Amino acid sequence: MDIKRRHVVSLMGGAAAVGVAGRAVAQAEPPKPAQIVVNHSGGSMGTAMRKAFFNGFEKKYGIRVVETSPVDFGKLRAMVDSGNVEWDLTEIGGQDAIRAGKANLLEKIDTKVVDRSKYPPTAQNPNVFASSVYTTIIGYRTDVFKGGNHPKSWADWWDVKKFPGARSMRNHPTDNLEFALLADGVPKDKLYPIDFDRAFKKLDQIKPHVNVWWSTGQQPAQLLLDKEVVLATGWNGRFYDIIKKGAPVEIEWGEGALKQGSFAIPRGAKNPYWANKMLAELAIPQQQAVYASELGYPGLNLESLNFVDAKVKPYLPTAYLDKQFWISDEWYAENGTKAAELWNAWMLKKS
Amino acid sequence: MFSSRNGFWPALPALVLLFAFFLFPVVRMLGFSVEGGTFDWYAKALGQGLYIRVLWNTFEIALLVTLFCLLLGYPLGFLMATTTPGWATLGFIFVLLPLWTSVLVRTYAWMVLLGRNGVFNRLLVEYGITSDPIPMLHNFTGVLIGMVHVLLPYMVLPIYGAVRKVDPAIPAAAAGLGASSWRIFWRIWLPLTLNGVFAGCVLVFILSLGFYITPALLGGGRVIMIAVLIEQQVREALNWPFAAALSAVLLVATFLVYTIAQRFSQPEPAR
Repeated sequence: MDIKRRHVVSLMGGAAAVGVAGRAVAQAEPPKPAQIVVNHSGGSMGTAMRKAFFNGFEKKYGIRVVETSPVDFGKLRAMVDSGNVEWDLTEIGGQDAIRAGKANLLEKIDTKVVDRSKYPPTAQNPNVFASSVYTTIIGYRTDVFKGGNHPKSWADWWDVKKFPGARSMRNHPTDNLEFALLADGVPKDKLYPIDFDRAFKKLDQIKPHVNVWWSTGQQPAQLLLDKEVVLATGWNGRFYDIIKKGAPVEIEWGEGALKQGSFAIPRGAKNPYWANKMLAELAIPQQQAVYASELGYPGLNLESLNFVDAKVKPYLPTAYLDKQFWISDEWYAENGTKAAELWNAWMLKKS
Repeated sequence: MFSSRNGFWPALPALVLLFAFFLFPVVRMLGFSVEGGTFDWYAKALGQGLYIRVLWNTFEIALLVTLFCLLLGYPLGFLMATTTPGWATLGFIFVLLPLWTSVLVRTYAWMVLLGRNGVFNRLLVEYGITSDPIPMLHNFTGVLIGMVHVLLPYMVLPIYGAVRKVDPAIPAAAAGLGASSWRIFWRIWLPLTLNGVFAGCVLVFILSLGFYITPALLGGGRVIMIAVLIEQQVREALNWPFAAALSAVLLVATFLVYTIAQRFSQPEPAR
């Protein structure tokens, strides 16, 4: 009787345990939705993401990945505020990600699902997944600047006597304020907080030599191709793309402005678990290598460089980290609005 | 307005739609701009030189675009309305086809045509008309060309409609009575098509005020319009109250211009 009862009890306990375990499994793996929605910048980036990540995810889990674009911080806020969150996962700009985290617009990343142990500690923000590295660097026409005789620093870029020719820079304070300070002799580790007066005074000098202030990422590459300008600042992947296709353009990595591409899960996303699963997919080094070879934007899983073709490596910003500097997303999260206002006013100023 | 009950009911769905998707959001937006019961955002919009200057630039550009559209659009609309049906169809194809093409594509096409090494400049230099390429892109000229091209259909179509409505017997009678063609245009065509001109001008002017892709790409970053600043506030700064205040200022300014223009376009009827 005693034994029997104990047996029964243990059986019950076992059953209960199984029940609990069953529930735990159910909690860990919610039912599969038919699809999840990933929002990103679109264009060639979307194509590369499909090839490197989305196809594998669909095959692995049988969940369709619906892609939308463009990236829009305002829309993200509107979605979260209204409680109608269409995106399960969205790309987000570096400084926007920090502000969105502070404004409680993002879900926490589930560290049990997403393995970031191989990531640099600076790239382990609780709300933000660092997906890739990109940099704003100098692109130049190789038929104009030959034999390694091209601007190699921002001081060179400002030197219009030694390196004459029309230039193009981004129509935005980010990057340009830093470039101006570097050209003026400020060391890389003393850029922040930005000295606005000093930066704009230096920018005054280059303004007459900048033909085009670009506003979309494709513009600088196109401007170099059309020889509209002979020097342009731009995102490394856009230059990599035209170099791959044989354009007479090369990249100078010196004093490039590094930034991280980020993804985050909007608060109230319909399938947060599967969004985390997608992030886990984005963290796989082999897949990051595929992505980097397509676009020139390497992932932050430091192992991924081992899987990249030797021909591609020289075009990845992670191969030149110490020549460059990191843009401070934290500083821009606080001062971005003021910087933008000063920038617009400066742009309208008659020079 | 609602004097005829028969006229009111069929219009009801449209009115409901306008109320729900236009009037209500506009009122809510205006509410945003005075959030917390303060007019601080208006003080900033009207007090800081930057925003007033950009607003002024925006109106200046819109006015010039309207003027050029009118100069090009009136003869075109007139020709299309008075020529043979075959030519009119061809005209329609040329006017409407660009309307169905993405603005971005057309803007990039202008970049190819107008650039330093673009089609126009290469022709000019090759035939020795100029020694150096003329800067037509990445400046004010580029913005004007691009915007006039995009907005021309909105001017042509109302003018075409107005010209079609004129009874051809009237100019014929005037010609029969010995009026010169200049006089016929001035005394008959123009007054009778003024409604179309006004409609076209208002459409083009108001649409111009909201432009930002074309000016950003063709202006080389130097031409800033108010829509760019509003967009920055909405998407980058996430300062919606300020964006709402800027929008409200634009709305009121537009309304003022519209009212004044209407005064001038409809002279007192002859007594």
